[in-house]
Amino acid sequence: MGKIMLDGHAIPFKLGDNILQTALEANLEIPHFCYHAALGSLGACRLCAVEITPKDSGKAPRVAMACLEPSEDGLKVSVSAIAAQQVRQHVIEFLMINHPHDCPICDEGGECHLQDMTVVCGPPYRRYRGRKRTFPNQDLGPLIHHEMNRCITCYRCTRFYQDYALGNDLGAMRLRNEVYFGRFQDGPLENPFAGNLVEVCPTGVFTDAIFRQHFARVWDLKTAPSICPHCSVGCNTLPGARDGTLRRVRNRAHPELNRWFICDRGRYGHQYSEHSARPLAPRVSGTDTSYHDALNAAASQIKSTQDCIGGLGSTREDLEGNAMLQALLNNLGGIFTAFSDPKLETATIAAVSSLQNIGNAPSLAEIEQIDAALIIGDLTAHAPMIDLALRQAYRKGAKLAFLYSSPTPLAQFATTAITVSPQEMCTELSRLYQLINAQSAAEDITDTPMTDIAASLMGARKSLLIGAIETMTSQEVSTLSKLATALGSDTKLAYAFSGANAYGAALLSPTGSAVAMLEAVEAGQIRILIVAGNDPLGDSRFGTRWRAACRNLSALIVLDCILTATAKAADILFPVAAWTERGGTFINYEGRAQGFATVFHRPEYLPNVARVITDLAQYLGHSLQAAPSVLGDIFSDFQIPKPGTTGSLITAPSLPMPATASAHSIQESCNSTWQAALASWYGDEALASFAPGLMALTPKTVAMIEPTSAIDAGIKNGSKIKLRGSSGSMVLSVRFNQDVATGTIAIARNVLVQLGVGHGDSLELEQVL
Amino acid sequence: MNNILKELQKDLLHLPRTHPKRRAVAIPAMQALQAELGYLDDAAIEKIAQITGLSTTEAEELATFYSLIYRRPAGRHTVRICDSVCCSMRGADQLLTAAEEYIRTPLGTVTPDGALTVLPGICLGLCDKAPAALVDGEALGPLNDASLKALLQRLQQKD
Repeated sequence: MGKIMLDGHAIPFKLGDNILQTALEANLEIPHFCYHAALGSLGACRLCAVEITPKDSGKAPRVAMACLEPSEDGLKVSVSAIAAQQVRQHVIEFLMINHPHDCPICDEGGECHLQDMTVVCGPPYRRYRGRKRTFPNQDLGPLIHHEMNRCITCYRCTRFYQDYALGNDLGAMRLRNEVYFGRFQDGPLENPFAGNLVEVCPTGVFTDAIFRQHFARVWDLKTAPSICPHCSVGCNTLPGARDGTLRRVRNRAHPELNRWFICDRGRYGHQYSEHSARPLAPRVSGTDTSYHDALNAAASQIKSTQDCIGGLGSTREDLEGNAMLQALLNNLGGIFTAFSDPKLETATIAAVSSLQNIGNAPSLAEIEQIDAALIIGDLTAHAPMIDLALRQAYRKGAKLAFLYSSPTPLAQFATTAITVSPQEMCTELSRLYQLINAQSAAEDITDTPMTDIAASLMGARKSLLIGAIETMTSQEVSTLSKLATALGSDTKLAYAFSGANAYGAALLSPTGSAVAMLEAVEAGQIRILIVAGNDPLGDSRFGTRWRAACRNLSALIVLDCILTATAKAADILFPVAAWTERGGTFINYEGRAQGFATVFHRPEYLPNVARVITDLAQYLGHSLQAAPSVLGDIFSDFQIPKPGTTGSLITAPSLPMPATASAHSIQESCNSTWQAALASWYGDEALASFAPGLMALTPKTVAMIEPTSAIDAGIKNGSKIKLRGSSGSMVLSVRFNQDVATGTIAIARNVLVQLGVGHGDSLELEQVL
Repeated sequence: MNNILKELQKDLLHLPRTHPKRRAVAIPAMQALQAELGYLDDAAIEKIAQITGLSTTEAEELATFYSLIYRRPAGRHTVRICDSVCCSMRGADQLLTAAEEYIRTPLGTVTPDGALTVLPGICLGLCDKAPAALVDGEALGPLNDASLKALLQRLQQKD
């Protein structure tokens, strides 16, 4: 490893790095605009000018761009040389010719890279008195505000959008002094990572349109390290709040996870905590009351029905909340589970168990390095940042193979994509397993897509098997883990779970507890149900049964920060702090425990779940230990990870692999030919569904059917059909879509809930004339 | 739709949507459409996107980058007077003003009779013939006030 001399300091460099990277690595700033660690060097802005003196003393010093000049041993570099300073000053002066003097009203002010660089390098006054070049702006949808006059043509936006996120609806138009970054026509940006333009842009061309609605200067924002609660990846975020309201969420770099970017659900989903219907005062039988009265009411209900109590935690509730609820239930002799959907419970526990056996899931940084992947289901909706990591792998030439039932945006980059109906997924996975097991015997490999997948997985240096748990059964999970074992140690296994703390929730829930809880409520054995952050009544597959069962309850006690169907039906409702308003711990898809800190407090008293449970226990005359010691009892040597650190893998006792029930258990009795599949999109999540900005982009509710099977059934594109499930029916218009499996109808989550069917359940279809 | 475009479309019919040939066809397809329509309107960009498998934004990026692809209506005849260094020094700017006054139409727009569009153009490499111009794809120069007026008059009367 050599060293460069930067203004007299010897700085070590990695081979292949350029001068700018070397300096930034050593925490030394060389002014720059267009260089970005994720996007690389371009040389468009000319700001990183430095003077270099080659080692060969015969050559004169010259000015070069630090981002394009490779570091060489003994190279003398000067940032402070007069010649380099002058170049930078001229660059800034040229950029400021057309840049408006609108800093006082610009949203970027205070965190503007151009503002900083102008102060650092530029002349303090503007000499130019002529007319400025101006542009019309475009309407880029509800999330991003466009202000083209501020552009300094660093090309960071299109490099991120087209090259990194693989979007194709934002581009660089025209040429010379008129280069324009925008879309063909007005309209929302379609890429699920478009919100990163706000952070990638070094000035105020792309700004956060949601933040703009309720703006605060950045230096007035209260921030603290937080973790995104919108999926199981656990991206690190930096929310900003002011005056007791949450204003925005930005990325906070984690070296192995999200690094420079977050998805739009993470950036804009935060509006749930400012939703007008958010419960903010405790409610007993529909009337607002004080926290003390609500606790009294809950305590007296529980006392009057001793021994008949259940506690339902949640996959989106933090580790502390779930563990405290479990501890309370242990004290009261009731039962606890974190899952309202027994199918989801067995699939999640099976997945965690197989990860514990095979080895932990790869980080996002590791996923970017794989060269073949098999993807089951839709990752864009269930773990958007894993989708982005796989896009990077694809850019490097990785072969992506898909087995999916309903459209998934990532499949546009597929080498092999096979649509499989939900009920046949397990069979197809087993077929692949057999193909891979029989690889040496099979000499006459026929050229089918499935053998292609087998060949690419077996030929890969590093491969990944990944599935979205919400649309998988436990049999599929165990087949996928068998597949991983068969492929050997170069194959990593990962699952996109449903809920930020699904991994942690699985560690706390005994196998079969969800179905035991549901049956106990149905049988009237449980008379009081405490629900923390869960929504059993709004569940698509089991909602009908839960709604009927809950009529047997004498009290439904709900703790939540959003007004779900269950919260609406609650007899006693405790509003709790949203994720940015409390500290806690989430365990992400890798099993990494990450802590998050309280960013701010609202004016209302909003305790977290663990606090409410502790207080309730006190009103009942029990005393619970504090959350850290409860967790310490469950997970030996567990230390609550400090917010702002990279977190650590949790060591937990091994979960048993759930016994695989017969594949066709619950709904298969009805002999209909059509199956439902969940058609999800990147905003589709319980908390984010309360974010109006993001929800404005919800795709139109239609029934998507594969053309051939639709035509066989005499269904026309655009015609109306009536779908009937266990709890209702709905008329929808048909949209033909090649990305739906044969015999499958892909419908949105709200339709599934209304029909009372889950992914893979049977549906009745009737044509409406 | 003209024959060239139809042929292009036929050639591409059996290629997969992401085949590099599809993207390569974008410029010839734009030229073919422009030959027929005079310029490319939004519908033409959408058509190009459909044929080539590019997104509309990608097609627009290409169309707006090349100065001989018109995204606004142009006259039956176009005169592009070079305004780069040599031509500018030899009086291109005065020629542009003179042309504007003569046809009584701002640069870059179409005369009311639909005959003419005069606009500044980038370097033609004809510095030896400065000030030079590109008239309906043919290079001319050196121009002066009188020859320019004669040229514009001829073009307006021709048809």
